[in-house]
Amino acid sequence: MKLLTLLPFLSSILSFVFAFLILKRYSVKRGLHELLWGIGMVFYGIGGLCEALYGILGWHPLIFRLWYLFGAVLVAAWLGQGTVYLLVKRKTAHILMILLAAASIYGAVRVFTAQLDPTLMTSSLHTGSELSGHAIVTPGVRTITPFFNLYGTLTLVGGAVWSAVLFWRKRVLLHRVLGNVLIAAGAILPAFGGTFSRMGIPAALYICELLGAVLIFLGYLRAITPMKNEAVAPAVN
Amino acid sequence: MKNDPKRRFPPLYEKLIPIGLGILILGIVILLGVIVAVLAGVFPAAH
Repeated sequence: MKLLTLLPFLSSILSFVFAFLILKRYSVKRGLHELLWGIGMVFYGIGGLCEALYGILGWHPLIFRLWYLFGAVLVAAWLGQGTVYLLVKRKTAHILMILLAAASIYGAVRVFTAQLDPTLMTSSLHTGSELSGHAIVTPGVRTITPFFNLYGTLTLVGGAVWSAVLFWRKRVLLHRVLGNVLIAAGAILPAFGGTFSRMGIPAALYICELLGAVLIFLGYLRAITPMKNEAVAPAVN
Repeated sequence: MKNDPKRRFPPLYEKLIPIGLGILILGIVILLGVIVAVLAGVFPAAH
Protein backbone atom coordinates (compact mmCIF):
# COMPACT_ATOMS: atom_id res chain seq x y z
CA MET A 1 0.00 0.00 0.00
CA LYS A 2 1.35 3.45 -0.92
CA LEU A 3 2.24 5.90 1.85
CA LEU A 4 -0.39 8.36 0.62
CA THR A 5 -3.01 5.64 1.03
CA LEU A 6 -1.71 4.05 4.22
CA LEU A 7 -1.46 7.27 6.26
CA PRO A 8 -5.09 8.40 5.81
CA PHE A 9 -6.27 4.79 6.18
CA LEU A 10 -4.58 4.63 9.61
CA SER A 11 -6.04 8.04 10.53
CA SER A 12 -9.46 6.78 9.54
CA ILE A 13 -9.28 3.56 11.60
CA LEU A 14 -8.00 5.45 14.64
CA SER A 15 -10.72 8.09 14.28
CA PHE A 16 -13.52 5.52 14.03
CA VAL A 17 -12.19 3.60 17.05
CA PHE A 18 -11.96 6.86 18.97
CA ALA A 19 -15.47 7.85 17.87
CA PHE A 20 -16.81 4.49 19.06
CA LEU A 21 -15.19 4.91 22.49
CA ILE A 22 -16.50 8.47 22.91
CA LEU A 23 -20.02 7.59 21.77
CA LYS A 24 -19.99 4.55 24.08
CA ARG A 25 -19.09 6.86 26.95
CA TYR A 26 -21.82 9.26 25.81
CA SER A 27 -24.37 6.42 25.97
CA VAL A 28 -23.56 6.09 29.70
CA LYS A 29 -22.84 9.67 30.77
CA ARG A 30 -25.11 11.52 28.30
CA GLY A 31 -22.81 14.54 28.02
CA LEU A 32 -23.64 16.49 24.87
CA HIS A 33 -19.98 17.47 24.48
CA GLU A 34 -19.10 13.81 24.03
CA LEU A 35 -21.89 13.30 21.51
CA LEU A 36 -20.51 16.20 19.43
CA TRP A 37 -16.91 14.97 19.79
CA GLY A 38 -18.05 11.50 18.72
CA ILE A 39 -19.79 12.90 15.65
CA GLY A 40 -16.73 15.06 14.93
CA MET A 41 -14.44 12.02 15.05
CA VAL A 42 -16.77 10.16 12.68
CA PHE A 43 -16.32 13.11 10.29
CA TYR A 44 -12.54 12.88 10.82
CA GLY A 45 -12.73 9.18 9.97
CA ILE A 46 -14.81 9.79 6.83
CA GLY A 47 -12.25 12.38 5.67
CA GLY A 48 -9.38 9.94 6.13
CA LEU A 49 -11.29 7.09 4.51
CA CYS A 50 -12.01 9.21 1.42
CA GLU A 51 -8.33 10.15 1.16
CA ALA A 52 -7.39 6.44 1.33
CA LEU A 53 -10.05 5.52 -1.25
CA TYR A 54 -8.71 8.25 -3.54
CA GLY A 55 -5.29 6.61 -3.23
CA ILE A 56 -6.74 3.20 -4.14
CA LEU A 57 -9.48 4.00 -6.65
CA GLY A 58 -8.41 7.37 -8.03
CA TRP A 59 -10.77 10.23 -8.75
CA HIS A 60 -14.47 9.82 -8.03
CA PRO A 61 -16.84 12.79 -7.57
CA LEU A 62 -18.69 11.24 -4.61
CA ILE A 63 -15.44 10.45 -2.77
CA PHE A 64 -14.25 14.00 -3.39
CA ARG A 65 -17.51 15.60 -2.21
CA LEU A 66 -17.63 13.49 0.96
CA TRP A 67 -13.97 14.28 1.66
CA TYR A 68 -14.42 18.00 1.14
CA LEU A 69 -17.62 18.26 3.18
CA PHE A 70 -16.62 16.13 6.17
CA GLY A 71 -12.82 16.34 6.07
CA ALA A 72 -12.26 19.94 5.02
CA VAL A 73 -15.40 21.87 6.00
CA LEU A 74 -17.19 20.30 8.97
CA VAL A 75 -14.79 18.30 11.13
CA ALA A 76 -13.09 21.06 13.15
CA ALA A 77 -16.29 23.02 13.72
CA TRP A 78 -18.24 19.99 14.99
CA LEU A 79 -15.41 18.90 17.29
CA GLY A 80 -15.20 22.48 18.51
CA GLN A 81 -18.94 22.55 19.14
CA GLY A 82 -18.38 19.72 21.65
CA THR A 83 -15.94 21.95 23.52
CA VAL A 84 -18.47 24.79 23.37
CA TYR A 85 -20.90 22.61 25.32
CA LEU A 86 -18.25 22.25 28.02
CA LEU A 87 -17.28 25.91 28.29
CA VAL A 88 -20.34 28.10 27.79
CA LYS A 89 -23.89 28.23 29.14
CA ARG A 90 -26.11 25.52 27.76
CA LYS A 91 -28.55 27.97 26.17
CA THR A 92 -25.72 29.74 24.32
CA ALA A 93 -24.32 26.38 23.22
CA HIS A 94 -27.75 25.35 21.90
CA ILE A 95 -28.03 28.56 19.85
CA LEU A 96 -24.54 28.04 18.39
CA MET A 97 -25.46 24.41 17.69
CA ILE A 98 -28.53 25.47 15.70
CA LEU A 99 -26.43 27.95 13.71
CA LEU A 100 -23.76 25.32 13.06
CA ALA A 101 -26.34 22.74 11.96
CA ALA A 102 -27.96 25.23 9.58
CA ALA A 103 -24.58 26.29 8.18
CA SER A 104 -23.60 22.63 7.79
CA ILE A 105 -26.75 21.88 5.76
CA TYR A 106 -26.02 24.92 3.59
CA GLY A 107 -22.42 23.74 3.17
CA ALA A 108 -23.55 20.23 2.24
CA VAL A 109 -25.90 21.58 -0.44
CA ARG A 110 -23.14 23.81 -1.88
CA VAL A 111 -20.56 21.00 -1.91
CA PHE A 112 -22.91 18.43 -3.45
CA THR A 113 -24.12 20.79 -6.17
CA ALA A 114 -20.69 22.22 -7.03
CA GLN A 115 -19.16 21.68 -10.44
CA LEU A 116 -15.88 19.74 -10.23
CA ASP A 117 -12.79 19.46 -12.39
CA PRO A 118 -10.11 17.06 -11.05
CA THR A 119 -7.46 18.39 -13.45
CA LEU A 120 -7.43 21.61 -11.41
CA MET A 121 -5.86 19.69 -8.50
CA THR A 122 -2.59 19.62 -10.45
CA SER A 123 -2.70 23.25 -11.45
CA SER A 124 -1.03 24.62 -8.32
CA LEU A 125 1.87 23.39 -6.21
CA HIS A 126 -0.25 20.31 -5.60
CA THR A 127 0.80 17.32 -7.65
CA GLY A 128 -2.66 15.78 -7.60
CA SER A 129 -1.39 12.90 -5.44
CA GLU A 130 -3.49 14.25 -2.57
CA LEU A 131 -7.06 15.51 -2.64
CA SER A 132 -7.35 19.28 -2.88
CA GLY A 133 -10.22 21.75 -2.87
CA HIS A 134 -8.83 23.23 -6.07
CA ALA A 135 -10.99 20.70 -7.94
CA ILE A 136 -14.09 22.78 -7.12
CA VAL A 137 -15.00 25.00 -10.06
CA THR A 138 -18.17 26.69 -8.77
CA PRO A 139 -17.28 30.09 -7.27
CA GLY A 140 -18.02 30.70 -3.61
CA VAL A 141 -18.02 27.09 -2.43
CA ARG A 142 -14.47 27.13 -1.10
CA THR A 143 -15.11 30.54 0.46
CA ILE A 144 -17.33 28.99 3.13
CA THR A 145 -14.57 26.67 4.40
CA PRO A 146 -12.48 29.27 6.29
CA PHE A 147 -15.56 30.36 8.25
CA PHE A 148 -16.08 26.82 9.54
CA ASN A 149 -12.37 26.47 10.25
CA LEU A 150 -12.24 29.81 12.04
CA TYR A 151 -15.03 28.64 14.34
CA GLY A 152 -13.36 25.24 14.72
CA THR A 153 -9.97 26.72 15.57
CA LEU A 154 -11.36 29.18 18.09
CA THR A 155 -13.56 26.64 19.85
CA LEU A 156 -11.60 23.39 19.63
CA VAL A 157 -8.00 24.60 19.90
CA GLY A 158 -8.78 27.80 21.77
CA GLY A 159 -11.17 25.98 24.11
CA ALA A 160 -8.61 23.30 24.95
CA VAL A 161 -5.89 25.89 25.60
CA TRP A 162 -8.30 27.98 27.67
CA SER A 163 -9.22 24.96 29.83
CA ALA A 164 -5.57 24.01 30.25
CA VAL A 165 -4.66 27.54 31.33
CA LEU A 166 -7.53 27.65 33.84
CA PHE A 167 -6.51 24.37 35.50
CA TRP A 168 -2.84 25.31 35.28
CA ARG A 169 -3.26 28.62 37.05
CA LYS A 170 -5.22 26.99 39.86
CA ARG A 171 -2.76 24.08 39.92
CA VAL A 172 -5.57 21.53 39.89
CA LEU A 173 -6.35 18.46 37.77
CA LEU A 174 -2.94 17.99 36.16
CA HIS A 175 -4.32 15.19 33.96
CA ARG A 176 -6.76 17.66 32.40
CA VAL A 177 -4.04 20.25 31.86
CA LEU A 178 -1.95 17.67 30.00
CA GLY A 179 -4.96 16.23 28.18
CA ASN A 180 -6.05 19.62 26.92
CA VAL A 181 -2.52 20.52 25.78
CA LEU A 182 -2.41 17.28 23.76
CA ILE A 183 -5.91 17.84 22.33
CA ALA A 184 -5.02 21.41 21.30
CA ALA A 185 -1.77 20.25 19.68
CA GLY A 186 -3.57 17.44 17.85
CA ALA A 187 -6.33 19.75 16.67
CA ILE A 188 -3.99 22.39 15.30
CA LEU A 189 -1.76 19.94 13.39
CA PRO A 190 -4.09 19.14 10.44
CA ALA A 191 -4.58 22.87 9.84
CA PHE A 192 -0.83 23.37 9.56
CA GLY A 193 -0.62 20.20 7.47
CA GLY A 194 -3.02 21.77 5.01
CA THR A 195 -0.85 24.88 4.84
CA PHE A 196 2.32 22.82 4.28
CA SER A 197 0.49 20.82 1.63
CA ARG A 198 -0.40 24.02 -0.23
CA MET A 199 3.31 24.84 -0.18
CA GLY A 200 3.92 21.63 -2.12
CA ILE A 201 5.36 19.49 0.70
CA PRO A 202 4.36 15.90 -0.16
CA ALA A 203 2.16 13.97 2.30
CA ALA A 204 2.30 16.87 4.80
CA LEU A 205 -1.47 16.95 5.20
CA TYR A 206 -1.84 13.20 5.68
CA ILE A 207 1.06 12.97 8.16
CA CYS A 208 -0.32 15.86 10.21
CA GLU A 209 -3.83 14.37 10.12
CA LEU A 210 -2.53 11.06 11.48
CA LEU A 211 -0.43 12.74 14.18
CA GLY A 212 -3.40 14.97 14.98
CA ALA A 213 -5.73 11.99 15.46
CA VAL A 214 -3.15 10.24 17.68
CA LEU A 215 -2.62 13.33 19.85
CA ILE A 216 -6.35 14.08 20.20
CA PHE A 217 -6.96 10.44 21.14
CA LEU A 218 -4.13 10.42 23.72
CA GLY A 219 -5.24 13.81 25.03
CA TYR A 220 -8.81 12.64 25.54
CA LEU A 221 -7.65 9.49 27.35
CA ARG A 222 -5.29 11.58 29.50
CA ALA A 223 -8.03 14.11 30.31
CA ILE A 224 -10.51 11.47 31.53
CA THR A 225 -7.93 9.46 33.53
CA PRO A 226 -6.67 10.99 36.78
CA MET A 227 -2.95 10.52 37.46
CA LYS A 228 -1.61 8.73 40.51
CA ASN A 229 1.07 11.30 41.37
CA GLU A 230 -0.54 14.56 40.37
CA ALA A 231 -1.03 15.77 43.93
CA VAL A 232 0.23 19.31 44.21
CA ALA A 233 2.93 20.31 46.67
CA PRO A 234 3.08 23.56 48.63
CA ALA A 235 5.42 26.17 47.21
CA VAL A 236 8.80 26.22 48.98
CA ASN A 237 9.30 29.97 49.03
CA MET B 1 -8.13 34.08 37.32
CA LYS B 2 -5.14 34.10 39.66
CA ASN B 3 -2.26 31.77 40.34
CA ASP B 4 -2.48 29.92 43.58
CA PRO B 5 0.95 30.58 45.15
CA LYS B 6 0.49 27.79 47.68
CA ARG B 7 0.26 25.00 45.12
CA ARG B 8 2.80 23.54 42.72
CA PHE B 9 2.73 20.68 40.21
CA PRO B 10 5.77 18.36 39.98
CA PRO B 11 8.85 20.31 38.77
CA LEU B 12 8.98 18.76 35.28
CA TYR B 13 5.41 19.83 34.54
CA GLU B 14 6.01 23.26 36.05
CA LYS B 15 8.69 23.79 33.38
CA LEU B 16 7.17 22.05 30.36
CA ILE B 17 3.50 23.08 30.48
CA PRO B 18 4.07 26.86 30.07
CA ILE B 19 6.36 26.15 27.10
CA GLY B 20 3.71 23.91 25.51
CA LEU B 21 0.96 26.45 26.11
CA GLY B 22 3.12 29.23 24.69
CA ILE B 23 3.81 27.24 21.51
CA LEU B 24 0.10 26.45 21.15
CA ILE B 25 -0.97 30.06 21.62
CA LEU B 26 1.60 31.13 19.02
CA GLY B 27 0.24 28.43 16.71
CA ILE B 28 -3.33 29.64 17.19
CA VAL B 29 -2.32 33.24 16.42
CA ILE B 30 -0.49 32.17 13.22
CA LEU B 31 -3.37 29.93 12.14
CA LEU B 32 -6.02 32.57 12.77
CA GLY B 33 -3.85 35.03 10.86
CA VAL B 34 -3.72 32.67 7.87
CA ILE B 35 -7.49 32.03 7.98
CA VAL B 36 -8.30 35.74 8.22
CA ALA B 37 -5.85 36.45 5.38
CA VAL B 38 -7.59 33.82 3.22
CA LEU B 39 -10.97 35.38 4.03
CA ALA B 40 -9.59 38.83 3.19
CA GLY B 41 -8.44 37.56 -0.20
CA VAL B 42 -4.70 37.90 0.47
CA PHE B 43 -4.25 34.43 -1.10
CA PRO B 44 -6.49 34.45 -4.19
CA ALA B 45 -5.44 30.90 -5.14
CA ALA B 46 -7.04 29.62 -1.95
CA HIS B 47 -10.52 30.50 -3.23
